[in-house]
Formats: sequence, C-alpha cells, structure tokens
Amino acid sequence: MAEVVIDVQHLSKLYRLGTIGTGSFRQDLQHWWSTKVRKKNDAFFQAGNATGAAGEDLWALQDVSFDVKKGEALGIIGDNGSGKSTLLKIISRIVRPTQGAVYGTGKVSSLLEVGTGFNNELTGRENIFLSGYILGMTRDEIKRKFDEIVAFSGIERFIDTPVKRYSSGMYVRLAFAVAAHLEPDILIVDEVLAVGDTDFQKKCLGKMREISQSDGRTVLFVSHSMQAVNSLCDKALWLQKGKVQQWGTAAEVVNKYVSSIQKHRLKQEWQLAEEAPGNDFIRMKSVKIIPHLENPTDAIDIRTPLTIRFQYWNMQEDINISTRILLFSFSGECIFNVLSPSVRCYKPGVLEGECTIPGNFLNDGSYYICMNILKDTAIHLLDFNECVSFDMEDYRGDLQWYGKWWGAVRPQFPVYLEQTEMVLS
Amino acid sequence: MIAAEKKRWEWEINSKTSYRGAPLLELWSYRHLLASFVRRDFLINYQQTILGPLWMLLQPTLTLFTYVLVFGRLVGLSTGTLPSVLFYFSGIILWNFFNDCFSGTSSTFRDNAHIFSKVYFPRLIVPASVMCTQLIRFGIQLFLLLLMVWYFVQFKDFNPAPNAWFFAFPVAVLAVGAISLGMGLTLSVITAKYRDLAGFVSLGIRLLMFGTPVIYPVTSLPENVRWIVQLNPLTPLFELFRLSLLGEGVVSYNQLAYSFLFTVVLLTGALLLFNKKGDNLIDIV
Repeated sequence: MAEVVIDVQHLSKLYRLGTIGTGSFRQDLQHWWSTKVRKKNDAFFQAGNATGAAGEDLWALQDVSFDVKKGEALGIIGDNGSGKSTLLKIISRIVRPTQGAVYGTGKVSSLLEVGTGFNNELTGRENIFLSGYILGMTRDEIKRKFDEIVAFSGIERFIDTPVKRYSSGMYVRLAFAVAAHLEPDILIVDEVLAVGDTDFQKKCLGKMREISQSDGRTVLFVSHSMQAVNSLCDKALWLQKGKVQQWGTAAEVVNKYVSSIQKHRLKQEWQLAEEAPGNDFIRMKSVKIIPHLENPTDAIDIRTPLTIRFQYWNMQEDINISTRILLFSFSGECIFNVLSPSVRCYKPGVLEGECTIPGNFLNDGSYYICMNILKDTAIHLLDFNECVSFDMEDYRGDLQWYGKWWGAVRPQFPVYLEQTEMVLS
Repeated sequence: MIAAEKKRWEWEINSKTSYRGAPLLELWSYRHLLASFVRRDFLINYQQTILGPLWMLLQPTLTLFTYVLVFGRLVGLSTGTLPSVLFYFSGIILWNFFNDCFSGTSSTFRDNAHIFSKVYFPRLIVPASVMCTQLIRFGIQLFLLLLMVWYFVQFKDFNPAPNAWFFAFPVAVLAVGAISLGMGLTLSVITAKYRDLAGFVSLGIRLLMFGTPVIYPVTSLPENVRWIVQLNPLTPLFELFRLSLLGEGVVSYNQLAYSFLFTVVLLTGALLLFNKKGDNLIDIV
C-alpha cells in the first residue's frame, strides 16, 4: 500500500461574518476587556461560538477528515460555498484552520489561480521567473525548463513584451505554462481549467494527467467539471456545506453527486400557494424537467429528450392565459423561446402544461429555464426566472473529433453527401 | 506507535501560530524570490519613464532644492557650520530611507493580499524585499552624497575633521532601517484590520520628521525644548550619521545606547507580532 502523504484530521474553519469593518475595533476592545481584563465570558462571543447559528458565524469546514496517498489524484467536488476552496487554502498554508490539523510529507505547490504574482508591467520572460519563484520553483528548475515553458505557451515571439500588451488568451497560456512545469510532490489545483479556450483547456487536462500519472506525484484538484474529475482522479471527496458528504472512488462519488444535484435542480415544487413564488395573479405550483432516460441514474446527454412539466395557480377570473418557456445557456444566451396557445380561464384554478425538447437537438453544456406567464399573449403576469436547470453531457458515439462542438444547438438534420464524379486513371 | 507516526510528517498545519515563525533555513531557501521581488520593484518603478533610474537621484535632489530655498533662504534655519546643501541632503536621504522603508513595509498585507491569498511563502519575504530595495536606493543616493562632499572639499574650502566616527555610519543606517522595519511590521499587522489607522500614521510620520534633526541640527535648538527631540530614538542616529560623514553632530554614548536598546526591543517585538499574527491576517485583510 502506498504511503499516506497528506492526512487531514477533524479540520474545521470558522469565519466571523459581518463584524469586519466599522465598529470592529470597539467590538474587539469590548471582547478583550470582558474576557481578559474582567475574566468573564463575553456573552456575545460565546453564544456565537457555541451554536454557530448566531448569524455572525459561518463554519466553512466542519470536522473534515480524509487522507491522500502518494501518487493519488483526489478530486474535490461540491456546490458553490461548500468549502472546497477553503480546504485547499488550508492545505496550501494560506489560511489557518480553526480546529484540527493537516499533516503532510513533501513539497506542496498550489495553483489557486492562474498567473499568481504576474506583474503587468514586466515582460513575459521576467514574469516566468517571478511567478516561478512565487510558486516555489528554484532558480535551476526555472532555467532548466525555461524553453519548455515558452514552447508550451506558444508565445515565443512576445517573450520580451510586457504582459499588459498580451491578449487575455496569451496571458493565460503563459501563466498556465509556468504552473504546468512545477514539479512539487503535491500539487493543489483549484479550477484553473475554467480559463482559456477549449483547446487550451484540453491541453491543460492532458498536462494534468501527465503530472498525476507519470511520476507518482500527488494531485488535489477542485473542479466543477465532473468529466474532468472522472477522467483525472482516482478518488473524490464530496463536500456539502463544509462537511464530508462522501469520500471514495471518483466514479462512485461523482455518480452520487450528479444524481443528487439533478434531483435537486430538475424539480421545484410547492404544496401551498401562500409559500410559492408568484404574486396576486399567479402562484407557481411545480416545475420539473423529466429526462427520458432508460436508467434513471444515467446522466443527461445530448441524445436525451427532456420534458418540461409545470403547474401554476391562477387566481383570476375571465382571463386569457398563455405560457412562454425560455431556454438559456449558462452564459446567458437565449437558445429559444416557445409560446403556448392561449387558454381561456373563466374561474381561478390550476393550470398545467408541458413541452418536450427532443433529443439530438441541444448542444452539450449547462442550461436553465425561465418561464413567463402572460395575459392576452402580451402582458406579463409573472416572470419566473431560472426555475430549473440541467447539464447536457456530450456524446460523440464513434466520432474521432473531440474538440468543442460549435453552435448554439446541435440538431441532426440529415446532410447528404455522395461522390458524383470519379476520376478513372 | 503514535509518537513514531507523528515523527514521519514533514509539516503540520494547525490552528496554533508561533512567535518563532519560519525557520531561517526556510527563509534562506526563498532568497531567489526575495531577489526577484527587488528586481520587480526596480523594473516597474522606472517603466515608461524617460529618465528611468535617474529618478532615484533626481527625487532627493529636487527636495534638496526646495529645502535650501525654503528652509535655508526664506526661513533662514541654521545648519551649523556645515554647508546647507550637504546638511540638507544628508538629512533628506536618510529620512527618505526611513520613510520609504516604513511606508513600504507597513502596507505589506494590504498591497499583497491578492498574492497572499493564493500562495504560501514566508510572509516576511515581502518586507525583507522592501528593505533590500530601499537599501540599494539609499546606497546609490549615499554615493551622490559622497560625491558632493568630495566636491565641497575640493572646491569650496570645506574641511571636515577626519575622525574615527566615520566607520559608524553603516551602524546608524542599519539602526534607522531596523526602527522603520519594526514600526512597519507592527503597523502592517494593525492596519490589516484597522485601516483608518493608516491615515493617522502618515500624518504622524510627517510630524515625526519635524521632531527629528532632518532640517535643523540639535545644537540649534534652545536648551529647554531640546529634550523633546532627544526623546526621539532617531535623533542620535541622524546626528551620528552626520557626524561620521560630515564631521559635525552631537551624540553621547547614553543617547546611542538608548537608541539601540529601543531598536532591538522594537524590532524583536515587531517580528514576534508579525509571526504570531501574520498567518491569521489573510482572513480579514
């Protein structure tokens, strides 16, 4: 069995919210006065610490324990604000935990952002050295790898130009190139792959794989891309609100995580009209996306037809109601919007509808759905934004092309192709 | 068994911060980082300027002109028997050294929060690099001062009595640097949390300049207020600096002992505070 190189034990991190800024000096002084001078417990502070729910305190991490073995790649996944970055920062020695400890062996380098320590005024060459030193490389190491770094970034011609004149893509490529040539025993990476164009991301993923698989280096890797975690990591840690939800093999944890967020995001439902979002005219009752999958735990991919089913309460009499469904990509582009026919409602009651997006129509990516409920097809009674969201995984079948598939949609109209002439020689 | 296991780890991160800070060996392994910070500071300071590094000399020279004009000609402050140009210039460069070291190190956490929140290295490297940068600048300015002294000796009939104090000027410079580093480190920790303090402090520093013999010699002060200026631990150091280079200054061993004691206590205290608190500051900067 491989040696354990990082051992995290009962790690907790508390952030005090809201108390920083004006008045903090007075508060600190009060705290100091009552605890140190009068030897009494400060009621305010004690209440906050004991319950953790005083509104002032946030446990970013709570009793997190796990270990990482030499040569292992650990993916850390979880929703925003689940404590992933805090965990990485503690292991990188940037912030201190409130409780618990991390024990480790070997040199640690952390890449929590691309281009740490880059200075806009300096040239590419200067920045390679500066950034390399900041990330913990030695002078010999940088000198030895300098050419390799420049070649990887592909900006040979601009190496003596200040980086402020670089395009943002060039900047990121140079920054990542430095980072990719680090040779620590333990590498800590936070979402750096979320930058750059898709081809460069692929290149980075390849480099990461090389790092983790070739010479037994240990990698800790935070990502929102389940594909990346699945393909790069041996094990995964799923954090939920600062606590370990699951820790195990990557495939297993990713599957659990994906099915949990799909359950959560694909459906919203309200039992009582009073609690539901809406206004005096309309109250939502439910919105769900029903993927047409053979096996309900499978991920949604581009072949999967999706049915959007919704219900809402109408509180008005004698009205023409129609519903518009808008599909947005996560970058905020509207992919399409479709309008239902108008329905004449004479009495208040529940309206129900559905719409199916066929399979083999959307491109891969993340999407969310908004709904408008309209009177006389023109007056907005209720705009319910971002009501449900889903991810479309890519599916290529036996295609040999792996780059990003261009286009807002990816419909499969038949394209005919035949050879009409033959050169006979 | 447990003891044996604990020994195996090379590092440990827990909630306790120590007064000792990073071991010297670790600091030494970051010397190239320090050097590249110094290099960066020099490169970016003179990027896109026509005169470039000449500014290092031009800036104190321009100040010198103002002082000679305002304090020398208009106000008519006495500079003792020394030529006012030499007197002011020596005061200006030493004061600038103090001031720049102080303001550079006191904003350590605020200016570098974006780096400190992304990567670890011993935080002391940053103030140390500021000190190195300022020492180099000071060295260059000192060279100009020595050129001026040479000029005055050659052409202006200025004859400083050669004395054994000449060899004391590095001590004075280092002590001034140590005081400003001590103050800067302390303040960097405090202003990381209480930023409004920075405003008061910059005012305080400006006032402190008038409480330090920068533009006047101690001897020109009336006896009954002299003790106020002599409470300032910088006073003997400035006088010592002038005494060693220009041959005129009033220093007693008692005052020097007071200054050095102050320096050692301040710097030690500041380093302890910086080590103890520095690791937690990134949460609140």
